[in-house]
Amino acid sequence: MKNKFIYISLFVISLMTTNNASAQSNTTWGLIWSEMHNFEYEINASINIGGSSPMPIPGEIRKINSYKPGLNLSIGAVITKFFGTNSPWGMAISPRLEVKGMDTEAEVKNYGMSIIQDGAIVSGYWTGLVNTKYRQSLFTFPVLGVYKLSPRCRISFGPYFSVAMANDFSGSVYEGYLRETDPTGDKITFEGEDKATYDFSDNLRMIHWGVEAGFSWRAFKHLNVDAHLDWGLSNIFHSSFKTVNFDLYPIYLSVGFGYAF
Amino acid sequence: MNILKKISFCMVAIFAMYGCQKEPLNAECDIVEASLPTELLSKAPIVENRSVTFIIKDDVELTALAPEFTLTPGATIEPPSGTVRDFSTPQEYTVYSEDGKWHKTYTVTVKYVELALEYSFENVKVGNTNSFKYDVFYEMNPDGGESFTWASGNSGFALTGLGKDGPSSFPTFQRNDGKDGKALCLVTRKTGTFGTRFDKPLAAGNLYIGLFELGIALRDPRGATKFGMPFNMIPLSMKGSFKYKPGEQYCIFDKSYEGKLRPIEGMVDRFNIYAVLFDRTPPAGTPESEAVKFEYLNGDNVLSEDNEQIICVAEIPNEMRVATPNWKEFDIPFIYRPGKSIDTEKLQQGMYSITIVFSSSIDGDYFSGAEGSTLIVDNVELVCRKLGSTPQSDF
Repeated sequence: MKNKFIYISLFVISLMTTNNASAQSNTTWGLIWSEMHNFEYEINASINIGGSSPMPIPGEIRKINSYKPGLNLSIGAVITKFFGTNSPWGMAISPRLEVKGMDTEAEVKNYGMSIIQDGAIVSGYWTGLVNTKYRQSLFTFPVLGVYKLSPRCRISFGPYFSVAMANDFSGSVYEGYLRETDPTGDKITFEGEDKATYDFSDNLRMIHWGVEAGFSWRAFKHLNVDAHLDWGLSNIFHSSFKTVNFDLYPIYLSVGFGYAF
Repeated sequence: MNILKKISFCMVAIFAMYGCQKEPLNAECDIVEASLPTELLSKAPIVENRSVTFIIKDDVELTALAPEFTLTPGATIEPPSGTVRDFSTPQEYTVYSEDGKWHKTYTVTVKYVELALEYSFENVKVGNTNSFKYDVFYEMNPDGGESFTWASGNSGFALTGLGKDGPSSFPTFQRNDGKDGKALCLVTRKTGTFGTRFDKPLAAGNLYIGLFELGIALRDPRGATKFGMPFNMIPLSMKGSFKYKPGEQYCIFDKSYEGKLRPIEGMVDRFNIYAVLFDRTPPAGTPESEAVKFEYLNGDNVLSEDNEQIICVAEIPNEMRVATPNWKEFDIPFIYRPGKSIDTEKLQQGMYSITIVFSSSIDGDYFSGAEGSTLIVDNVELVCRKLGSTPQSDF
């Protein structure tokens, strides 16, 4: 299993770091300083599951035939500062590099779309099957308020900001028919192998934001189990992009492990 | 991974629950089928996106007919299906969609088996597409009514998104500088990204008597060009004037080549002009479901040597299919296929159909040709003999 291999590699790397003799004295001093000032550090890895979804799902989408989350890895660090030695409240930032993606096939009816390619525009209403592949590589920066429920459990909540580094939003329509321009237009049927592809990758926004709610449980002295839900509040597309009739928001649940120093 | 699978299932379930909204009402407002009693008709009704045409037998009165219509489920039609109306002139019906947001007006025409015989390409109307306008040629009867509309591949070209500079950016359009008045202009065009993706990198300019069934054009392009309209005269010859300029680079359709068009050195594009008279009667023993295949000829069989339906063909000779910068006349006789002759009773009942076809690239139906090949045609005439009149010469 590829994921487990990655986790194990991360642990080995982090263990090796702390066992490095020459770094030990600096590290020890660093840890003591941190403890005095109520800082905590963690590096973590997790998997994102979710998708970009319209809220609420419009009636034009009749059925979701298949959904594959894709390998959405996230690797990052968490720096938490508590407001006082015994205070349960704190703040955290948790910068990370992550991938958000999904592959879906849906059945749609009267799904308005237009495709612009090389200066030519074809628009109409599609009834039939649509598959979508969405993938973004992001640098995400949440700023969270943290509350310690118990010595081992904490919850967090706050906004996050993401910058996209690689974008893909593409797919194809097939097994259905297109009404040109509007439902009274010429009808053209796609059967079997016929399909039209679309690629809206260039229309994805670079900057995203939303809210994040998280939960962390210290399983062992240095091992955390983390989960957080990222709820996107910005449309993944630019506002000037009118082709897809509704806004799509990325909603992802992230589950993973962290090594706490 | 099991936990991940469980979480994935939850997400799908959430989406699925969310997705189970009520089925939206139908937005389409089509006439799916139209009918009149079969004994009145010469030919099956023709239903297109905004028009319906009935061709009735010569002895049928058209002042009080009650056509019936099958619509998109949930749609309504005004006036209602089965209303008696006077079809001396075409009548309009409006179909309203189930969701109330859309409506479409159909022109329903009832006519006899007759076609205008002289074509000067003076008349065009706007093609029925909601986006890019293209020319639709039509012919008038001597008594003033519309005789028929010429078909072309323009509605297919409209889907490439390249027709945005007006009707003259389409493969088939009207030109002002005809031999007399206006002329038909056919230009072979590249179809851009969209057309090439669907293995149709070239669109030859074409004009013909028949129908273009856009709906199936993607998967069966030669089946989409349906040739023929009922005809009850004896064709003798076809004449007219033309000019031709072949495009610069002849290309053959090659799926594996870049742009799917492979240039062939030394080969020059050629045009085609031809007319075919054929029998619509299906062979004895053909089941009802198969009979519809004989209503029209199509791109695969319109000139086939072994097509038993074909009675006679007039085709421009190959030596004339060359670059012709100045107006040149053609006069081509109808040649009968071996063993074929006209059955006068069938002719009288309107069981024969005729088609005339013009194309700027002879292999355009196989997406081979030269971009820019231009055929200009004017003053075409079908020389015919009416049934029952004295023959003027042996044939």
